[in-house]
Amino acid sequence: MGKYILKRFLHGLLSAFVVVAIVMIMIYSMLDRNLIFAADNVYRNLGNNQKTVYQYRKWQEYGYINLLTYTDYLKMLAREGEIDQETREKAASIAKKEENDSELVAEYVAKFKEYCAEEGYTVQRLNAIMASPKKYASGGQQQLFAYRDRPLSSRLVGYVTGLIKVDNIHTVEEMEDEERGLTFTLHDPVYGGEKFAPAIIGNGTYHKYLLYFDHRFPFIHQNLVTLNLGKSYAVNAGIDVFETMNKPQGAYVTRTVHYPTGHVEESADDLHTAVYVEGSLEGNQVNIDRFVDEYTSVTTEKAGLSKVGYSFKIGIIAVLLSYLLGIPLGILMALYKDKLLDKICTFYIIFIIAVPSLAYIFLFKAIGGKLGFPTTFDMDSSSALMYVLPVISLALPSIGNLMKWLRRFMIDQMNSDYVKFARSGGLSEGEIFRKHILKNAAIPIIHGIPAGVLGALVGAIITERVYVVPGAGNLLTVAIGVRDNGVIVGVTLFYAILSVVSIILGDVLMGMVDPRISYTSKSR
Amino acid sequence: MENELRDLSAYGLSDEELFAHIDHNELESEKITAPRYSYWRSVFRVFFRNKVNIFILAVLFFIIIFTYLYPTLVEYDRFGNLMDPSAKHLTPQAAIEKFGFSIHWIFGTGAAGGSTFDAIWNGSRISVSLALICAAINMTIGVLLGAVWGFSKKFDLIMTEVYNILGNIPYLLLISVLMLIFSPTFWTMVLAFTVTGWIGIAYFIRTQVIIIRDREYNLASRCLGTPITRIATKNILPFMTSVIVTYAAVEIPSYISYEVFLSYIGMGLTETTLGRMIYEAESAMVTPGWGFEFWTPVAVASIITVTLYVTGQNLGDASDPRTHM
Repeated sequence: MGKYILKRFLHGLLSAFVVVAIVMIMIYSMLDRNLIFAADNVYRNLGNNQKTVYQYRKWQEYGYINLLTYTDYLKMLAREGEIDQETREKAASIAKKEENDSELVAEYVAKFKEYCAEEGYTVQRLNAIMASPKKYASGGQQQLFAYRDRPLSSRLVGYVTGLIKVDNIHTVEEMEDEERGLTFTLHDPVYGGEKFAPAIIGNGTYHKYLLYFDHRFPFIHQNLVTLNLGKSYAVNAGIDVFETMNKPQGAYVTRTVHYPTGHVEESADDLHTAVYVEGSLEGNQVNIDRFVDEYTSVTTEKAGLSKVGYSFKIGIIAVLLSYLLGIPLGILMALYKDKLLDKICTFYIIFIIAVPSLAYIFLFKAIGGKLGFPTTFDMDSSSALMYVLPVISLALPSIGNLMKWLRRFMIDQMNSDYVKFARSGGLSEGEIFRKHILKNAAIPIIHGIPAGVLGALVGAIITERVYVVPGAGNLLTVAIGVRDNGVIVGVTLFYAILSVVSIILGDVLMGMVDPRISYTSKSR
Repeated sequence: MENELRDLSAYGLSDEELFAHIDHNELESEKITAPRYSYWRSVFRVFFRNKVNIFILAVLFFIIIFTYLYPTLVEYDRFGNLMDPSAKHLTPQAAIEKFGFSIHWIFGTGAAGGSTFDAIWNGSRISVSLALICAAINMTIGVLLGAVWGFSKKFDLIMTEVYNILGNIPYLLLISVLMLIFSPTFWTMVLAFTVTGWIGIAYFIRTQVIIIRDREYNLASRCLGTPITRIATKNILPFMTSVIVTYAAVEIPSYISYEVFLSYIGMGLTETTLGRMIYEAESAMVTPGWGFEFWTPVAVASIITVTLYVTGQNLGDASDPRTHM
């Protein structure tokens, strides 16, 4: 069994990566890449050469191309020790036009071009644009850079290999080797150094705290292995997609925080999330007052749930509600077939299936509003009433769906031969019903449970939009709207893996309930 | 009946007159004297036996007239009253008061001062056409490929993988990418709905074919040497008719719903469709007195989808030969 599940999972994972590859082809090579500047104010305000360079820089950020500027190339040479600092500075100052370059510059420009030709880059030199003989036009400075399209294979391999990051003491490049290392402490300095709280603190790692305890569930946390679904550019600038989905939202929660310098203040900073930012201590008085090293970037503690958190909370209540109502109603429909109850429920099912979901969600919003339930979601309010309408809107269609299928399966079972045989064998109707019909009819229903529960993580687009829930359902549409390629790819992978896992879990659950189903040929 | 013996001689008939010898006719004995059975005639007999269906068909007839005939007869100008601020956001009563009674004003006016009634039917023409065309394409491809998929074991291996992959691509992403690559026109929308839309139908048909394929009567038929195409068309397809009709009944309204959904999240067509009307009137819904603008397209969309769904479901029920008794 375990082997079978592992095989299925690996197979599914492969499918998920193929999906990611298809999505990458779609968004990187089929979409017009100029569209990302449609709502970009910086782009609009730049002029001439600077605009072109900005364009290429953005394309690199969004993952379309690899960009190599001439200055970067010289820096690379300097790092390799081929040229010294002085030559580098001299060689970097290219002239307004190519033919005016000094001898030294021309030599290195030629080298740069040669290097680019080897690596498959296309070199682009933009001559200076002058407003007057002495004065540059706005953004008209001369530019020299090279670019090449990122091939799908390298993009995909880079994405997949970067998915899981294991932090180690050599992650941070700019640090003396003797400073690197791990410390284990029994008294976490975040709590003032007196309270018993074990923690592993790294130096040279990306995260400062690799393992720590705090007051939030599940109380022990780690930063050693992190999931990296890709960076967001527009939706949540510079933040990983996984974090975007899981970061708490809402109002700040302030506590007394003991900073490493001894500074104590009321703040929402969560020191356990500190990560390394190069040069963040220099000239930044706020950081100098608080931190002793360059692990200065911390996230803040907030009162609300994350995007996925809200979606899941609403979704899981809706799933529970729909099973609690849908199963008994479906059974009753089958028991009293063609009676009044069956007719009313059939009418409801037709209504739910045929009427556009948008229409009935608005209908329930209008009715709920009249009854006095809050129709918009407020993160800062602690009232449970605001969950009522979104949960009902989500549960209603799945109740209808469950009723429809359970009734169908039960009636099919009732007409089958073994039921007639059981009846002729003298079993009571109740016994037949409980022990035979219900058990058999429930098997396909059980198959759908994991999909329902995991599907709650994804969120619901219309419901969340109509009730202004800060959930995850909108993430994909928002990302498509602002062309945030990182988020699109990350969310697609997340959805694909969820669907793969839920189908496997459904099969496993079905195999556990029904002993006739076996996934391995040996046990037959 | 009472059994009494009669004396035939009392009638005064000869033996030849009383008894005539009739030969055994080989040809006649081969004929079966059952009433002629026509499948589709029985389907419609069962369908019209239910009085609800006649009512539903009447509603469907009205919808078709209004969606296809009405827009060709009535000139609709969306921005006809754009310059007249007093014509905007009128309730039906106010509109009738202002313009005099005519069918155009029974639903009031919209944000641009145009008639909501005309807009709804213009919009539903596009929405219903979209649904019918997409359903026709997807059902054709899906049923044909699904049948092959169910029969061929080699094809099954490949198609199952294709299904696993295509089924995981977010539908929303696919549609929006296509809408961005091409312009958001009617035919782009058709392409977006049909590019992967057939695979779900094909998978469903495949499962049905596999169930019926290995039934005893098909096994027997194969043993007797019936070619596979004949098994497919004569033994399996009739079984599938009701399943296909029932599936189509769910499919057609679902495209209308999906179009409404796409318009609502801002990825729909630029032309006036039912979905776009709902999207544009969303802000009017919360404004007191303007709610009518929002609810009329919602109500009409719901009536259209419910009618199509119920017609299809009942036709599906009627096309199942087991109900023809």
